[in-house]
Amino acid sequence: MLRRILVFGTALAVVFGACTAPATTSRSNSAATATATPKRGGTLVVAASVDPGQLNPAITTAGGTHFVADNLYNGLVFLDKDLNPKPDLADSWTISSDSKTYTFKLHPGVKWHDGVAFTSADVKFTFEQVLLKYHSRTKSGLESVLAGIDTPDDNTVVFRFKTPYGPLLQRVDVVEAPIVAKHIYEGQDPTKADANLKPVGTGPFKLAEYVKGDTIRMVRNPDYFKKGLPYLDELVFKVIPQAATQILALERGEVDFVSGIPGPDFSRLQQNSAMTIARSGAGSGGSFCNTTLIYNLSRPPLDKVEVRQALAYAIDRQQILDQVYFGQGKVGTSAINSSLGWAYNPNVAKYPLDPVKANALLDSAGLTRGGNGIRFKLEFVHATSFAKVGELMKQNLAPLGIDLTLTPLEVNAANDRTFVAKNFDIGSASYCNGPDPEIGVRRVYVSSNIGPILFSNGAGYKNARVDTLFDQAAAAADKAERAKAYFEIQDIVNRDIPDWNLVETEGYRVWSAKYHDPYYWSGNLAEAVWRD
Amino acid sequence: MTRYLIRRLLEAVPLLLGVIALTFVLVHAAPGDPVRILGGDGGDEAYYATMRAKFGLDRPLPEQLVIYFGSALHGDFGYSYVQRRPVFDVIADRIPATALLMLTALAVSTLLGLWLGAVAARRADTPPDHAITIATLVGAAMPAFWLGQVLVLVFAAGLGWLPVQGMTSARGVAPGFDAAIDLVRHLVLPVATLGFLQLALITRITRNGLIDVLHEEYIRTAYAKGLTPATVVRRHALRNVLLPVVTIVGSHFGTLLTGAVLTEIIFAWPGLGRLLFDATTSRDYPLLMAMFLVASLSVIVANLLTDIAYTALDPRVRLT
Repeated sequence: MLRRILVFGTALAVVFGACTAPATTSRSNSAATATATPKRGGTLVVAASVDPGQLNPAITTAGGTHFVADNLYNGLVFLDKDLNPKPDLADSWTISSDSKTYTFKLHPGVKWHDGVAFTSADVKFTFEQVLLKYHSRTKSGLESVLAGIDTPDDNTVVFRFKTPYGPLLQRVDVVEAPIVAKHIYEGQDPTKADANLKPVGTGPFKLAEYVKGDTIRMVRNPDYFKKGLPYLDELVFKVIPQAATQILALERGEVDFVSGIPGPDFSRLQQNSAMTIARSGAGSGGSFCNTTLIYNLSRPPLDKVEVRQALAYAIDRQQILDQVYFGQGKVGTSAINSSLGWAYNPNVAKYPLDPVKANALLDSAGLTRGGNGIRFKLEFVHATSFAKVGELMKQNLAPLGIDLTLTPLEVNAANDRTFVAKNFDIGSASYCNGPDPEIGVRRVYVSSNIGPILFSNGAGYKNARVDTLFDQAAAAADKAERAKAYFEIQDIVNRDIPDWNLVETEGYRVWSAKYHDPYYWSGNLAEAVWRD
Repeated sequence: MTRYLIRRLLEAVPLLLGVIALTFVLVHAAPGDPVRILGGDGGDEAYYATMRAKFGLDRPLPEQLVIYFGSALHGDFGYSYVQRRPVFDVIADRIPATALLMLTALAVSTLLGLWLGAVAARRADTPPDHAITIATLVGAAMPAFWLGQVLVLVFAAGLGWLPVQGMTSARGVAPGFDAAIDLVRHLVLPVATLGFLQLALITRITRNGLIDVLHEEYIRTAYAKGLTPATVVRRHALRNVLLPVVTIVGSHFGTLLTGAVLTEIIFAWPGLGRLLFDATTSRDYPLLMAMFLVASLSVIVANLLTDIAYTALDPRVRLT
């Protein structure tokens, strides 16, 4: 979000930026070749937008820290491109028929970077003493449902739940639950330990040097438990705050990999055969994110469902996708992001662009126009990164007689007004669904999550059926049952519209075509990267 | 002199305490809560409560201020909420990069400004003077972030003569001579961006001051003695122009930190300016307050050095 502010500022400042047409085609040219044999050696230089600050990913959810530090660690599972769990520290797992017990068999012979053996005790320690205290997403998601963690032997970990719990496997990868070393952190405050700057992980790379604010240099872990990996000798992260500068550095060969292409640079990069571009909604900073409007249901006339539906017919989501996001993403259609294929309901109520219908709905709700043609005013409180969205909305709503006031604020001030002070008519947020709806969708719609909490149920939506369905979905044993519950939730929410997903944003990654196979959707970006 | 220095430093103490109190009030008054920001997209009340207790933010504000004063007097300025390290370590790590950038920009722009101003003054109202005047006016009017972008696009991305970003090459460079050249290459564009405004100011002040001075009687005497124009300017005229120049340099030195923010962002320079920006957006109170303290201290020291410099330059000035 911050990067977008700087990107737009730069785009304005550069006098000779050619006006490029918004990219309507995407080049999903993810790195080639099951055929070519990976070669050993080389250095990959990755541009990082934010200095990680410290290198312990278990005590924070900050995307900037995870982007860098996750390469030093592992999770129990690795999520593939479709976010299906594959072995990482755990070779295999079994789930009890009532979904209350998960048993993980750990890979034998794994060593920490300092040579000490990795055991199940490290997993138990990480969850109990670190994640469940300081990793906000894991804490809020698991603390109330986890009964306990047992370690019957060095290579087995058992998670016991109080109620049946479906989504655990999506929450135990290196992004959501990186495993740190008990022998390093035991007895210390994990948030202040020296080890946070001298990390000891199990991951494919070890830290060689951290020049604050500038460079994080990692070298290959020769004892990595996945035989043959990694191929690279060195992995270097260079901190470059501005997206435009990252792209220039990539084109000049100063860096090799950039996450995030500013719209104006897209077509130039697409035409550059020395570059590979891939697009994905997933990433270590948040997966399957939607730009969402939040309606304050306690403020008339937004308490009338006809008004919210009218807004849905009136706001041109395609235009927003094209002009604000340069086509990087999809039009939002439902409460759940379409990339979560198994849970996404394609048959929810549709709201195609139809200002006539919108006007009719407002008339039927009894909201007549005044002498100046205005029916009512609304205030759109938003972070400056949504400023262009607001301007387009204002244009869309004016013919309906809705006078939209735009209040762009610094991002923290905007979040404060929306989620804490609750002083807004329409708010906005980028709500990331995460690899499972239980992680990122539930918190938007359940009535128990109404409070002064960021990215919570800011609309103040209370629907008992939806609450029940979310509980059912979390507790269900198999995916089909869970999907059924999520489908019904989407039906209800698409009629009530307490929030409105405008765009499903996707990120583009671009890298020098000399390099292959980055896992750009996960935390272990460079585990299998090789260069020509 | 010593008594004067001691007195000035003692006067600084209540000033710094006042800065601490004022910045404390300001950072806490701003909307946005560091604990909520840390919780990011997954925080809940339980997480917020844990972190507030950890940071001491659950105590009443006056109590927090008293605790902060108490620790500060012992040299403990707290831990950064985001980096979880003592704030002075965080700041100390970044000072060398900013110092290098600022001091180089100051030195280059001052020396170049004095020279260009002298050239313009000696050739007043001729084409070289006009060229220099126009260039300095344009330079003073240009916003730093625009100038920086243009320089990058032309010299780095376009011509490829210089690196696009950073202080060092990410791919590593051999230590010694190669590393020194690498550093110099990385310094050129940021120094140009940062120093341009000051270059413009110093050039104009020097030019205007020198034009006045060059009409004085004693200058005519110096010429009459047979001294070359260069010597006249250097040995006799320039000294009288230096006081305003020193004032400008001193005041810019004092804003060491904040002036570099935009330049450091554009060029990915790992300095204090960017740290200040990051600390502000994450509401990292201890780090923010320590940075304001460092900024205030540098202004105080810069003013002191400027006053001392006056006495060296102008024997008529007495420190009281």
